[in-house]
Parts: sequence; structure tokens; C-alpha cells
Amino acid sequence: MTVHATDRHPVEVLVCGSPDRGDDGAPAVATASLAGHLPSGVQVRVVGQLDIDDLLSVPPGARVIVVDAATGIPPGRIVELPLDGLVDRDDRLRPRSSHALGFPEVIGLATLIRGRPLAGRIVAIGGSRFGLGASLSDRVARAIPALAKAVADAAERAGA
Amino acid sequence: MHDTITAGGSTGDFTVDIAGLTRVEGEGSLRLQVRDGVVEKAHLEIFEAPRYFEQLVVGRTPDEVIDIVARICGICPVAYQMTAVHAFEHGLGIEVDPATRALRRLLYCGEWIESHALHVYLLHLPDFLGYPSALDMARDHRAAVEQGLALKKAGNRIVELIGGRAIHPVSVRVGGFSRTFRRTEIRALREQVAAALGIAQRTVELVAGLETPSFHRDGRLVALRHPREYPMNEGRIVSTDGLDLAPSDWRSEFAEQQVPWSNALQARGRDGRAYLLGPAARITLAADQLHPLAAAALAGTGLAGEIAVNPYRGIVARAIELVDATAEALEIIDAYEPPRAARTDWRPGPASAAWATEAPRGLIFHAYELDDRGHVAHAQIVPPTSQNQAAIEADLAAFAPSVLGLPHAEATLRIEQLIRSYDPCISCATHFLDLHVEVVS
Repeated sequence: MTVHATDRHPVEVLVCGSPDRGDDGAPAVATASLAGHLPSGVQVRVVGQLDIDDLLSVPPGARVIVVDAATGIPPGRIVELPLDGLVDRDDRLRPRSSHALGFPEVIGLATLIRGRPLAGRIVAIGGSRFGLGASLSDRVARAIPALAKAVADAAERAGA
Repeated sequence: MHDTITAGGSTGDFTVDIAGLTRVEGEGSLRLQVRDGVVEKAHLEIFEAPRYFEQLVVGRTPDEVIDIVARICGICPVAYQMTAVHAFEHGLGIEVDPATRALRRLLYCGEWIESHALHVYLLHLPDFLGYPSALDMARDHRAAVEQGLALKKAGNRIVELIGGRAIHPVSVRVGGFSRTFRRTEIRALREQVAAALGIAQRTVELVAGLETPSFHRDGRLVALRHPREYPMNEGRIVSTDGLDLAPSDWRSEFAEQQVPWSNALQARGRDGRAYLLGPAARITLAADQLHPLAAAALAGTGLAGEIAVNPYRGIVARAIELVDATAEALEIIDAYEPPRAARTDWRPGPASAAWATEAPRGLIFHAYELDDRGHVAHAQIVPPTSQNQAAIEADLAAFAPSVLGLPHAEATLRIEQLIRSYDPCISCATHFLDLHVEVVS
């Protein structure tokens, strides 16, 4: 069966993190390598720190993939979770890029204001060094191809 | 978050550890030690990694510095840009077009609106309404959260238009901006900002009626004061005890020092005294320069006196400044005429450049030495949170004994609520710290 672009859900990939803060830049590095390799209907948006408005501006019917670095998981490990699964999750996984408000709070508030669940996933990579500098720690640098593939796969599945 | 309060029975000995402060920007903790009802130690421990920005800008041109320092904070990048650009222009003797001056003030209004809206509605209001988080509060007070988000969005939009993007803006240049702005572009902000002004006025009514813990501090307040406008980009450094300094002369009165428990430097008066900056200080020292709508809102609360002495009323001070910033933004939008050129021409060269402006959280000071090529040879960047740290610790030491008889959860909430009332930006405060590398063989 042929799948046409119009049959797919639009997908927004929201890239979090700061490229000048070590492993925080991993999402930007990984998604940059995907330019031209993502299915049609997938839009990549670099948001830096994830704001509620970033999620509120996602069009109805679109799916979201949030890519972020995280603490609380081993450096280089890639974790993929549904967005709504983070709200009531009580473990050490802590995405970095929502700043003053916790990541689950940002997702939860956006969901509440939208009045419907945010369909999407977070793809997070564990980091170990978030100080100043563009270089990634060794384990995170080695995991960049896997992170890029995880993002592409998640976008592909989300759009189907 | 891990937090403990341990009691020593009838001796009145306590240790309070709040190991992960939430709803503040950055990563820090609080350690309090109380013996016989007296606080022996109140340490706001800031362990956010040091970021070395002062070294990073060495060798850079002034325009490069303006873009680099914007990266210090995702909440208040404009404060860093405004302070740096005014320092360079003051040091190099550059006059800017009055329209450029107004645009910069509008840009700063945008940052004040987004930062104050975030803090009032999403970081601090949950404390007063008895919720552990903004999300829990939103389930019962969705309309309030939507108000806050609408305000924040209006501020974001101003920064995005004039700054080139909402976070870490890129358009500010020595002498002006990287481009001119058409009247139609600026006027397009009007409807959203006018709506934001109405929300800001309702915000004052909302927060003025909140039940607030009782606390009285007599400490020194410091802010800029300008003879004709509420302080943002210009004014003299004044205090509640009579200080009156040029904005370039911060170092004659204040100095930074290291403390063992914090990655952030702490600033104090050269006489060792702590001092407090921010909305309460500005309102106390410059209320007569508030926009008439903000002045009316302040008068309507009847809280001007309490704002000066009770940090928990900081939420009211921020709401008053939301009215001031939205009302002034609207006036600038209505009166805007494009400058004759995007920026004034200037020549690089050696200079000593220093200036202070008012970030949302309080006075921020920058000083740069420019070498013969006009590149930075030395930099000092002093954000508000590093200046407020010592006063916050002193206030915690004074306040803690009054709550340690309360149940654990309530005592912790009261203490965290007090810390949040200063809106500390820990990421900003740790951008510095000298790096000393000792090589041994």
C-alpha cells in the first residue's frame, strides 16, 4: 500500500537544550544530522528551553516529539516515553530544558490549557556534563547517531 | 526534592535541609542550622555549575559581547544586553537616537512583563493558594493560569519582534539595533499589549488580596532612580540610607566576595552590609516615577509601606510593575517614530566602560576594559541574584525561628515561599567565579 504524505499526521520535533552547555547540546547536534532525511510533514523547531507556548502553538491534530538532554539516567542512554507519561512519573529522570518550571509541569499545563492530551513522545538522552563549552562528553558523543535514529523513528511512527 | 527538618527536642536545635529548591531558576539548596532557637547558619547553597562568562568575553568586540552575555540567562537576556550596550556607549561616548532609546525601553518592558508574569502566576502564586505546583493550581484555577500565560506571551512577543527572537535576542548593537523597525511592525503589538495591561491591572487586585505571612525586615534597599521615569536603562544608584552614585560607579560602594558554600560570588557593601534589590526596592525608592496607572494601582492596594519591609509582598510589587511595564509599552508603541538610522556610527578604541540597569530581579552592573583595538581585556558582570544572596540569607536567619515550631511541611513551605519571593535566578548568579588552575609537577 502506498502511504501519501497527506495521509500522515503532521509532526513537530521540538529541539531543546543549549549548544554551548556541553551535553545539553546533544539534541541540536543529533537533529541537525537529520536535515533532509525526515519524512514529509515533519517540522523541526529549535526551542532551546521548552516553554508552554511552544506546546500550545502545536496545531490541532499534530504530533509532538520533544528531544532533550536529561539527568537521572546514565550518560548516553536514550529513553523514549509518551509525553503524558511524564506528568505522574516519580523517578529520577529529569529533562533539562524547562528551567524554572519542571518538565512534567510544562507538559501538564499545556495539556490542561489545550483541553486535550498532547499526542507525542519525549526522546531524552542522559548527559553528564552541562558546563560551558560546545563539546559533548564521550559517551554522549558516541550516542549521537543512535539519538538521531531514535528521533527519526519516533517522528516516523508519530506521523503514521 | 529531598528536604528534612530535624528537631533536637526541648533544646530548640534544628537542621533544615531543602536539598533541591523548586520553582526557582537554576539549581540551589538551603541549609539552616538552629541552636537554642538562634540560627547559627543560613546558607543558600548554589551548586549550579560555574559558567565563566567573564572570561569568555575577553578578546571579543563590544557587539560580540552583547550577543554572548545574552546567553547568561533564558529569562532575562535583555538585562544583560542592555547593561552591556549602555556600558560600551557610555565608555565610548556614543549618543543614540531618541527613538532608539525608546525602542530599548520597550524591549526591556517586554522582558519585565514576561519575567514577572512567569514568576507571579506560575512560580509564586501556588505558594499563596496552597498548591505544591503550578500544575496543581491550574487544575482549580485555570483562568488565572491562562491570564498569566497571556501576559507572558505579550512580553515574549515584544522581545521577539525587537530582539529578533524571544529567547537570547540578537538585534541589539552598539549605537542602536541591527535594523530599523517600521511603524506598522511596532503598531502590530498594540492590541496584545493593551489586553495585557488590563490583565496586569486585574493581577494587582488578585495578589493584593492574598493572605501573606507576617515578616518585617529593616535591611538596606538599593535601586536605580531616574528624575523623569521609572528606572530601567538609566538612573543613579540610590539606597534607603541615602546612597547616591553614578550608574558607572557601583564598585566604589560594593564588592564581590567568594563564600565556601556557593558557586556564585556574593556582593556586599564595602562596609560588609547586605542589601536587597528588585521590585520592592524600586517601588520603595522610585514609586513617584511609576506610570500613573501603576501609581493608582499601588495606591489602591494600600500596601506601599508593607512592600518595603515584607518580602512576601514582593508578588504585589511585581504585579504593580506589570502594570507599569505594559502601560509604558503601550505609550511607546503609540508614539513610535522610526529612528533616522538603525544605529549611530562609532569607532572602536580603548575605554573603561561601566553601567548599571534594572533587570526584573534588580540592579545589574557590568564593567569592561577595552584595549587599544577596542576588544575586551577585562570584564566584571554582577547580576542581581549574587547581590541579593547575602540579604536572602540574613532574612532567612531572621525568619526561620518563627516557623520551626510548625509542622514540617508547613515550615518548609514558608521558607521556600520566602526564598521564591526574591525570585532568585541561580543560573545567572553562577556565570562567573574565577577559575584558578594550579599546575604542580
